[in-house]
Amino acid sequence: MSMTLETEPRKLPLHEEHLQKGARMGDFGGWLVPLFYTSIMGEHTAVRTKAGLFDISHMGELLVEGPGAIEYLEANLPRRIAPLKFHQAIYMPLVNDRGGMVDDIIVYRMAENRFLIIVNAGNIQKDFEWFAGRAPEDVIVTDLSESMGLLALQGPLSREILTEAFGAYYRDLKRFYYLDFEGGIITRTGYTGEDGYEIMVPMSKLRAVWEVLFRVGGKKGLVPVGFGARDTLRLEAAMPLYGHELNDTLTPLEADLEWALDLTKERFPGSEVLKGQKRSGILKKRIGFEMIERGIPRQDFEVRKNGRPVGKVTSGSFIPTTGKNIGMAYVETGEAAVGNVLEVMIRDRAVQAAIVSLPFYKRKV
Amino acid sequence: MDFPENLRYTKTHEWIAVQGNKGRVGVTAYAQQEISDVVFVELPKKDQVVQQVKTAAVVESVKAAFDIYAPVSGKITDTNKTLESNPGLINQSPYGDGWMFELELSNVGEVNSLLTVQQYKDLVQQTPKH
Repeated sequence: MSMTLETEPRKLPLHEEHLQKGARMGDFGGWLVPLFYTSIMGEHTAVRTKAGLFDISHMGELLVEGPGAIEYLEANLPRRIAPLKFHQAIYMPLVNDRGGMVDDIIVYRMAENRFLIIVNAGNIQKDFEWFAGRAPEDVIVTDLSESMGLLALQGPLSREILTEAFGAYYRDLKRFYYLDFEGGIITRTGYTGEDGYEIMVPMSKLRAVWEVLFRVGGKKGLVPVGFGARDTLRLEAAMPLYGHELNDTLTPLEADLEWALDLTKERFPGSEVLKGQKRSGILKKRIGFEMIERGIPRQDFEVRKNGRPVGKVTSGSFIPTTGKNIGMAYVETGEAAVGNVLEVMIRDRAVQAAIVSLPFYKRKV
Repeated sequence: MDFPENLRYTKTHEWIAVQGNKGRVGVTAYAQQEISDVVFVELPKKDQVVQQVKTAAVVESVKAAFDIYAPVSGKITDTNKTLESNPGLINQSPYGDGWMFELELSNVGEVNSLLTVQQYKDLVQQTPKH
């Protein structure tokens, strides 16, 4: 059996807590993170049926503020920012001048001209430079990533656990809104396809939040969840992951993220490229597929149609809920229809798969 | 962790039970714990010729694929097909129902190059944990 070794990744602020809960640690984008505590399958199921708590403090937080903030973000982001209410949040790709994706982000409106932006861990520096480099003199961009910690409470029991832990004040928090909490915020967002919350607090308060949630939630079935199940949960919900489904050269239209753009906006970075693609069509597209024959698809495996290369797998896994082997891939638009049978090359063997509609999993409301 | 006395081991965490020129192969208790939930197994084919320290099978967890090396060279005589429908047997019973394949050794002398149980225990103990 062969395994790869990692080189000195950064530790999370709750590293010791993870070890105490029996975490198996591993590398994720330069961070030493819990891969799982008991098992990926068990943790995946816990989030689908009860609740799970994730430490996602590796993620980045940027603050954009100043008298020109609203005008500046309107000019640089691919969705309209001005209609956002205070305490409201919105998801979107960050687009470069060529129409590629710098990152995917969530923008929170904290005041008329103050915005919090949650960014992917691996992109903190790149995003900071992107925002700071375009900012006029009356807009200040600050990287809060070192001082803020982030936990995600996800699953059907998360609302009950959250309100018992922190009070009825949070009971009616709506999806994609936030409320203030302990020098940070609680938002009703997530990356699992379940109901849930993300809790951002100063690093100094992170441990106390972690402990109180387990004190309240433990008896209801709340378990710590590692990055293994975070990946299977988001994959099953067909949520793209930067570095897999998204990168600097793929466009949001190819990534099937047109819903997260506003192409009626006159101008933003990359808007000409994207509007052109909208008019003339895209050459490749993100799709979901399910294996028909035995085999687990993994990132970078080639996708073929009758032996002809037509695309590449971006993510793939065995899925605990259904027991199926599924994946996402980019394939030529002409081969992207639901039902089309393709071959995934797994260790030099062509293994049949069928395109299915996304998401693979949708929670019952 | 259990490491039976009557087996020989590899540095890459396979075990082999040798009887005459026949051998049965699987992965160790340590390996199954490191891999965690086994969700997929690809076995060699009957009559396939395998070489010592070359990939003979693949075991996949939710997250990753792991190559399983042949501890010795030989010809595959049987495989544990049950694993294809129940790969979790590798986790539940790595030395029993979770065995992977049997082979006829082409060079019995290769067994001498494998680790004894004590050497393997020392290796596992020295492996750093996060």
